[in-house]
Amino acid sequence: MKISRDTYILFVAALLVISCSKEQPVLTFAVGGAPNEVDYWERLIDKFEKSTGIRVDVMRQPTDTDQRRQGLVIPLKAKQKDPDVFLMDVIWVGQFAASDWLLPIDSCLEKSDVDINTFFRSIIQQVDVFEESIVALPVYNDCGMFYYRKDLLQKYGLSAPQTWYELVSVAEKIQEKERNKNPQFYGFVWQGAQYEGLLCTFLEFAHSYGGGLLDENGKVHLHRRENIEALQFMHDLIHKYEISPPNTFTEMKEEEVRLFFENGNALFERNWPYAWGLHERDDSPVKGNVGIMMLPKSSTGKAAATLGGWHIGISRYSDDINNAWRLAEFIVSYAVQKELTLVLGWNPGRSDLYDDQEIRERIPHIDVLKDAFNNAVARPNLPYYTQVSETIQRYLNAALSGNLTPAQALEESQTEIEKIVKAYHE
Amino acid sequence: MNRALKEAVLFTLPLVLFISLFILVPVLATFWNSLWQDVSFIPRRFLGFENFLRLFSDRQFWQATTFTILFPMVSVTLEMIIGMIIALVLNERFRYRGIVRGIALIPWAIPSVIGARIWQLIYRYDYGVANYVLTKIGLAPVNWLGSPLGAFLSLVFADVWRTTPFVAIILLAGLQIVPQELYRQAQVDGAHLHQRFLKITLPLIKPVVIVALLFRTIDAIRVFDIIYVITGGGPGGFTTSLSLHGYKYFLLGDFGYGSSVSVILFVIAFLVALLYIKMGKFREALL
Repeated sequence: MKISRDTYILFVAALLVISCSKEQPVLTFAVGGAPNEVDYWERLIDKFEKSTGIRVDVMRQPTDTDQRRQGLVIPLKAKQKDPDVFLMDVIWVGQFAASDWLLPIDSCLEKSDVDINTFFRSIIQQVDVFEESIVALPVYNDCGMFYYRKDLLQKYGLSAPQTWYELVSVAEKIQEKERNKNPQFYGFVWQGAQYEGLLCTFLEFAHSYGGGLLDENGKVHLHRRENIEALQFMHDLIHKYEISPPNTFTEMKEEEVRLFFENGNALFERNWPYAWGLHERDDSPVKGNVGIMMLPKSSTGKAAATLGGWHIGISRYSDDINNAWRLAEFIVSYAVQKELTLVLGWNPGRSDLYDDQEIRERIPHIDVLKDAFNNAVARPNLPYYTQVSETIQRYLNAALSGNLTPAQALEESQTEIEKIVKAYHE
Repeated sequence: MNRALKEAVLFTLPLVLFISLFILVPVLATFWNSLWQDVSFIPRRFLGFENFLRLFSDRQFWQATTFTILFPMVSVTLEMIIGMIIALVLNERFRYRGIVRGIALIPWAIPSVIGARIWQLIYRYDYGVANYVLTKIGLAPVNWLGSPLGAFLSLVFADVWRTTPFVAIILLAGLQIVPQELYRQAQVDGAHLHQRFLKITLPLIKPVVIVALLFRTIDAIRVFDIIYVITGGGPGGFTTSLSLHGYKYFLLGDFGYGSSVSVILFVIAFLVALLYIKMGKFREALL
């Protein structure tokens, strides 16, 4: 291609004009998600610009979580001043804080109307505190929930299970009967593919059996009896009781699980709260027949839910910290959080919204969610969490596929993780 | 400097510069990176060969290396055999030969990620085409990607489907330069079909075969896209190739460790290329 001299000069001149006209600093807010969500953020930011006169560029990020993370890690690692404000998945906060990318906001909070006590205390403690400073604030919360078909339970005169044991017996009964009409029918669908969601599901099983990822001293401790039992149970759901489909460990991520349940092919479902809104849409075959509650537990343990969600943080390298904080303040304000809940169906980061009348009407099961968030278990806030998680996912998946026994899988992943920990602690 | 040498230098210079800038520099930079610990949450520090020591005690690395060696062996062998058969057929004279040649190339013309997506939809357990056919004829559905062997063969199949046309076209080009008189001569001498193939065709197209082998093997060693789409490296990491393994570390933010995986991958590909070039005796073939 040949570019004429004039075009070239024009291009350079245009660049100069653009770069010179940028006098007052402009905030950059990085946000991703589904396209309708990002569109909505742009409208919200417009409102902020109009009311404050602060200029904000919205840096549109993709839907894919890994790519969103990459899009932040690269500029932050290069100490770029943009983006100033961004949303983080709960599991990134540890790495971002340990990399010294997040501005501690304690002093901002002191001068502000934002009261830290309006957020869920346990979530702030598990996610947003790093070296005794607050480095992020929850924008919306997520955690694993249990969905069930009210109509089917009623049809067979059974009630929603409180324990895994009950779950198996109820699911086996109804599955057998329903198979007469629908050979594709399964009792219980959950996320078992090799990805982050598998670890979330596993942690719920493990905690309900009294196990977990870390021991009392905060060290990774996977290879123990409770975890082996939990993983064995997950394996048995697929291979022994056969109430979870055989492709659980190859294909089942949240959307596959949601569609499976929504198409009327399952009795129980483990999924994030977003599924409820979709199950209740007008074109959903299960509309009006879905119940939601906390996940069942083992006969001895207690119900657990893995914490997810997105938190807002300010970059350490921001060139306009005051305005960046004003933007963050705006996003966690009562009014904006309420809008996000009513428009996008997000579960607010602030706990005071759970008593709001309008929201209670819109989300009738909000008390179940509030209860779940008060008890939700965060994934460990390690700076190398993603690597630990990747390793565990791989071994869990190998155990679910039957290529390793649960004990082998947990023992080997324990060894691998110790190597990872050692590589970063010297 | 005499004139001939001057010209030779002048003619090769652009290529040498191009290769240095876009291949040599990145390769050396990757090697240099592999000697460092480069993660965001601790200061960058020099490790020497520690990343490689960690690599050699990493089980997933060995699993990925095994896969990276087995996958090309199986898939390239199949591609060469099937590709040769297709090339021999397409080399014969028959009606609509041009159209058939064009059709044979279609899988190769489909972008590999899209080809992989097609296969993923075929293998899917719940609404995949393969299981749909099985259930229609009264058989039980199979979880194709559920076992290590099943996942491996599914990947081989998808790869063979997509790249065999490429092999066939290269071999076809080779077949076309074989002088027809040799076959007529051999026929007069009473040589059988398989004798003609083994004694005339194969020796004459050997350099072309080596080129096809070289391209395909190097490509298969670096395989990434179809695995990323079809199995994601599962189940349990059994179908993770070295490039997928390295990619994961770049994604996770450990650039030094990821680079060390890339270096190993480079060394394997480089050795294979050297081996083929030696086998091909290109110097003799060209002179």
